[in-house]
Amino acid sequence: MTMFARRLAGHLARGLVMVLVVTTVSFFVIRSVPGDPMAARYEKLVEQGMSPTAAQRAVEVLYGFAPTGSLWQQYVDYMSGLLRLDLGQSLMVPGVGVSTVLFSAAKWTVLPVLAGTLLSFLIGVVMGVYAAIRRSGRLGDVLAISGSLLHGVPQYVLALLLGAVFTTLIPILPTSGTADIMFEPGFNAGYIGSLIEYATLPVLTYALASYGGWILAMKSSVVTVLGDDFILAAELRGIKRGIVFRYVARNAILPLFTILALSLGMLFGGAIFIERIFNYPGLGLMLIDGINNRDYALMGGAFLLITVAIVVANIVADLFYSVIDPRVRSGEGAR
Amino acid sequence: MTAPVIAAGGGRAALRRNFWRGVWRVLKRKPSRMVGMVIVLGFAFMGVFGPMFYPDPLPRDTAALYAPPSWEHPFGTDFEGTDVLALLVTGSRYVLLTALVTAVITVVVGAAIGLFAGFRRGRWDTVLMRITDMKLTIPGLPLLLVLSTIWKFTSALEMGLVLGLLGWGGVARAVRSQTLSLRERGFIEAARGLGLSTTHIIGRELLPSMAPFVAMNMLIAVTGAVYAQVGLFFLGVLPFEANNWGVMLNLAVFGGGAMSSPAALPYLMAPLLAILLLTLGIVLVVDAMDEIFNPRLREE
Repeated sequence: MTMFARRLAGHLARGLVMVLVVTTVSFFVIRSVPGDPMAARYEKLVEQGMSPTAAQRAVEVLYGFAPTGSLWQQYVDYMSGLLRLDLGQSLMVPGVGVSTVLFSAAKWTVLPVLAGTLLSFLIGVVMGVYAAIRRSGRLGDVLAISGSLLHGVPQYVLALLLGAVFTTLIPILPTSGTADIMFEPGFNAGYIGSLIEYATLPVLTYALASYGGWILAMKSSVVTVLGDDFILAAELRGIKRGIVFRYVARNAILPLFTILALSLGMLFGGAIFIERIFNYPGLGLMLIDGINNRDYALMGGAFLLITVAIVVANIVADLFYSVIDPRVRSGEGAR
Repeated sequence: MTAPVIAAGGGRAALRRNFWRGVWRVLKRKPSRMVGMVIVLGFAFMGVFGPMFYPDPLPRDTAALYAPPSWEHPFGTDFEGTDVLALLVTGSRYVLLTALVTAVITVVVGAAIGLFAGFRRGRWDTVLMRITDMKLTIPGLPLLLVLSTIWKFTSALEMGLVLGLLGWGGVARAVRSQTLSLRERGFIEAARGLGLSTTHIIGRELLPSMAPFVAMNMLIAVTGAVYAQVGLFFLGVLPFEANNWGVMLNLAVFGGGAMSSPAALPYLMAPLLAILLLTLGIVLVVDAMDEIFNPRLREE
């Protein structure tokens, strides 16, 4: 147990350093962006005949704050705000904190990503086992090539193809948004049905995009385990094929859990394309909107949240693996 | 594309001839691999010579906006009546040039860092790998999006440089672990025992044994670069200065409404099919290379 605690502490320390570096870099990168919407607003008001102090006040009221002091002072303010989970004010949605905007967007990223990934994991793992057992036959070839192709094609190509087929050619699925505005949001059948209908294309794209990776990973994992001594021993002892198969599957799936945790983190970054294409208001769309509107606070916040998701996924993956695979716990074998 | 890397590492002429004979044999065994080679070479040809077949400002046919596919316009026309196939061909140069620059930088930087860290070990290794881990953790696409607000990526070279500098992490890690296992082998020990210089050992002994692996990573980096830049243009965060596939996708979806009306659909499909075909070609070639370089995979 102390071993586990020490591991956890080390990971947390490294993760914190990572987050610190990312926030610092994004703070300075974002501050150097040309084209400041608040300054533009201020100048416009002055041009319209407002006195400089009045214009300054008007901008502050509109956006809730004004960046004051040196860059260093702003940095210290930003970092201390971060400790209180205060990411500043959004310019796009005046008067609302960035953290509020982001947390309400996060659910539209987390749920579809989770659903799509788990779906593809289940199907991909089963298909991967077939691809490994039949690897010299036609079925194995087809599965492996389809896996490589789906793994190779970028998400946005899949999203655009699915969109073109199901919204343009055979218009049976909605193109944008999260639910039909006809229904009252809440726990009622109509709204939930509509939620599922609108989430179908994003979830299907996530699932298809990651499915190829699962097939390939499971196939190579099963092939490795098939060559292990204990499988040969089991076969020589005349144990039933079904049971041998259970041995194989159980050992082969272990490394995949690590990839599962990692890919969940990574998908937050990849969700950008899918959210943009299906106009699904998650974190990725927030990031793009923030960039297009030069909304520093929102940009920084969305980028930070995506990074934190990946860092957390890394930590979870490593710890989880040491829990389920006793071989890792004993030594430095994990590296 | 792989040839220079391999030839530079190959050394003796006879070895090289044998190698090419092996390549030919592996290609011949499965027709799918030939197809892959043909596709990849076809794209290279299109990028180099394609734009020469078209006049510089492409002709517009204002009478036929979003024309359906026909013999004259196999993929129809765009919102200005320009032939979509012509746009696709002329746009390929930017896409493929960026991909090439990215792949070269990714592989050179990644292999250099991986080799150095793996060979030196110790403190240098720790520091370099910490940096690599950090790079691998920072989400690439969101970072590119944020960076696109200050950089404008005006030329293909500039774009390739940025993508390459962001992408070497994976190669560095993979090369390092290869180096770690190779450096314990007999022939490296022997070279060290002979008192050969580190540069000689890395350049003449380690690199050639790793060349195939590096070449494969380079091909994969090409696809990664194509996706990343087409994606950036598609999202519309970069200014549309050049004509390329990403701009086409963006205009088809957000300008032409290809997700709701079928008029702009051929305009959307042309770049999509190009990307799919390129992916297929590279996947098939990588599959063949896997067999050339991993003799254990060969089923005789």
